[in-house]
Amino acid sequence: MSRKEAKTKFPVARIKKIMQADDEIGKVAQVAPMLVSKSLELFMISLVQASVDQAQEKGHRKVLPGHVKLAVENNEQFDFLADVMEKYPNIAD
Amino acid sequence: MERDSDDLSLPKATVQKVISEVIPSFVSFSKESRDAVIECCIEFIGLLTTQANEIAESESKKTIGGEHVMKALKELGFAEYVDSMDEVIEEHKEIVKIRERKNTKFQESGLTEEELLRKQEELFGLARSKLNNVSQDPSQEQPPAPST
Repeated sequence: MSRKEAKTKFPVARIKKIMQADDEIGKVAQVAPMLVSKSLELFMISLVQASVDQAQEKGHRKVLPGHVKLAVENNEQFDFLADVMEKYPNIAD
Repeated sequence: MERDSDDLSLPKATVQKVISEVIPSFVSFSKESRDAVIECCIEFIGLLTTQANEIAESESKKTIGGEHVMKALKELGFAEYVDSMDEVIEEHKEIVKIRERKNTKFQESGLTEEELLRKQEELFGLARSKLNNVSQDPSQEQPPAPST
């Protein structure tokens, strides 16, 4: 699987806000949301590619939430997403 | 743990752009899939932040630093992302350097902020009057353009 870097970046201020939406989180050094932003970019690319792979395996041209769900199920790195994807319908075989 | 994920999300247009950069041309990504991906991203931020926070706390640090985020990535099984972090850290160091240089320049000028503002107004006034002179009488000989 080729891993690319995106040209588009996420707004660091927004990432910081999302990080601090959790009451448990206190102060955050300036560089921290920048690193989270970069990690997020890599994560999103990885998840999207895995979802596309699932769709292509099924011969589908349109990626549906069910394909994202399959990507989560088939990748250990994405185990933490199992609960969040639960509500989405499975791809009908 | 309070999570205001309904109030704060990622800009949809930005997410759409990233998706478009990644998928092959003959594949389309449904809106619902994009929204599912966004949900996953918010979860990822939460996971990474919580882990980084725990690491910071275990070091008795009150602020989550870059090194805590890096450690968290490794602990969560995303060690492969760590190499890309160096570039971000270098970029950040440059920004801090430039900011410090600007501050030093300000401090070394020996002028207060008020005096600097006054000087700026003087320069603006000069520029404005030059502009007005030129527009009122175009036949007048143009002053030499300032060299940069």
